[in-house]
Amino acid sequence: MIKTVLRRSLLSGAAALFLQGFSVAALSQSVDCEANTSIHCGSAPSAVFDANGRLWTAFVQSEQVFVSYSDDQGTSYSEPVAVNPIPEDAEHNGENRPKIIVDQDGTIYISWTLKTSPRFTGEIRFSRSTDGGKSFEAPRTINDDNLFAGHRFETLYQNQAGHLYLTWIDKRDLEAHLADDREYAGAAVYYAVSKDQGKTFSDNYRVADHSCECCRIAIAPRGPENIAILWRQIFGETTRDHAIAVLTPNGATLETHRASYDEWQIDACPHHGPTMVQSSLSGDYHMSWFTNGDLHQGIYYGKFSFDSQQPDQVYRVDGSPGAGHPYLGEFNDTLHLIWKGFDGEQSTVQLIRSFDDGASWTDPTVLATTTQGSDHPLVVTHDDGLYLSWHSDEYGYVFQKFTDRSESLSSD
Amino acid sequence: MNMAMSFKNLLIEVRVYPVTSTRHRKSVVWQQLVLALLLAVASYSHADNFKPFTADSFAEIKASFQGSEFLVGLWSVDCPPCLVELNMMGALLENNPDLPFVLISTDPISDRESAMEFLEDFNLHGRESWMFADSFTERLRFSIDPNWYGELPRSYFFDSEHVMQSHSGIMTMELLAKWFDRELSL
Repeated sequence: MIKTVLRRSLLSGAAALFLQGFSVAALSQSVDCEANTSIHCGSAPSAVFDANGRLWTAFVQSEQVFVSYSDDQGTSYSEPVAVNPIPEDAEHNGENRPKIIVDQDGTIYISWTLKTSPRFTGEIRFSRSTDGGKSFEAPRTINDDNLFAGHRFETLYQNQAGHLYLTWIDKRDLEAHLADDREYAGAAVYYAVSKDQGKTFSDNYRVADHSCECCRIAIAPRGPENIAILWRQIFGETTRDHAIAVLTPNGATLETHRASYDEWQIDACPHHGPTMVQSSLSGDYHMSWFTNGDLHQGIYYGKFSFDSQQPDQVYRVDGSPGAGHPYLGEFNDTLHLIWKGFDGEQSTVQLIRSFDDGASWTDPTVLATTTQGSDHPLVVTHDDGLYLSWHSDEYGYVFQKFTDRSESLSSD
Repeated sequence: MNMAMSFKNLLIEVRVYPVTSTRHRKSVVWQQLVLALLLAVASYSHADNFKPFTADSFAEIKASFQGSEFLVGLWSVDCPPCLVELNMMGALLENNPDLPFVLISTDPISDRESAMEFLEDFNLHGRESWMFADSFTERLRFSIDPNWYGELPRSYFFDSEHVMQSHSGIMTMELLAKWFDRELSL
């Protein structure tokens, strides 16, 4: 049997990106992925900074979720620690990745979706470390229906009050309807909350029926206690646009509104979830998403206000084919939007910025390119700026601050 | 057939294992048998007709249908609506076995076993079938259609002059009848 030895050639820290105006090459190191567990070899990483400025990452390799940290902002990483000692089929793709949060006390929270054997089924898994990442508690399943049904596409979020929210796409209602020979479009959105730092979770609460089955959910704060979530929802029979809702820690969904009007009539899986951050300027919600609807095609930005209950400032970010997977971040009252595109030869990560709360946008800047396969690009927010978190076959894991660069590239 | 062949190949390979003493001969034979069975099972599970889909494959598919109409169905094991479509296509092809239909799974070819299970369920496992064989999926998608955003199911009809028509979402019988310009029944 021939074993394929994977080798990730890595570019070191500052040289990692191909930035417009800076031509960078030089391979500096490589990792033998057959022999090593490393964030460069794993897939679908997530990253977050803790209160002390340590960068924490979670990724999947060989059916295990690993956690590894960096004290030099992504140049070198600690020996990865397995969260699940017993391997299990943890999902690891653009829309379905392990999530990591580190709270003020240093407690580390990890969630992921476990793929189970009947088709399209899964469980929402959770674990935490209370000893600074040295060890992790045995993983728990958070969905409480004991069904081999779809529980997937989870998102983990901790708000100012310290409540830990887990939201996901759930098919228990679909299964119940099918058992009674009744129709049910799509899936449902559910959530659970922990108010004791992940020690225990609430019952599962239903937010909405008829969500799209296969897109990540975006979360942003709504006051200290509540959260706002944005997801792809089926309106009418087949229109897969977006909805926004406010969830409380006690299981109540306070309000639900339509958040995008693209008229995407499709009976298919876009595998393309939205992104959302709350504006520090207005308190409104910056949203970005992909659609191929009758009204809009491509990546869009829009600002949602719970006062007007309407999307506003809707702007076409990129209508070119191959553009997708936007991610928003805000720093110094400047809104940043990155996304991935493909020009026939290479994938590019591009950036646009808005200095007026999303009313107008800069021209795009190319942040990074690759001629091999790559993950969705993510934005990680820190006190000193915004960072690009991006895994590719060509460069391994790239973690790079881009707000300094974008200031120097400013054309306005 | 495949199973028998791989079994035979295997025995040849196993025979070169050194047999150090007659005392151990029995256990060696036993080992050979177990190994043979294991490998036969392993190769049986690969007894599918998936071809690796690379950036050149779509051109190859088109060339193989030169001057003829054909239908392409793109699907994934991770796409619930795709199952609805595969179910319909399985039934349709049973009644219209000559319908030129090529399947392309966007799952990595390393997932061939689970993809095969799906196709067997819908009696589509004998059809021409490809699976994505390059992690640079953007380029593979582009090679099929630069205007496809990756949503599934996705289908293409090429007429005999290879004028292309596309559809996102589950195909309908009406659409297929229109594309093939004839009556089709399930």
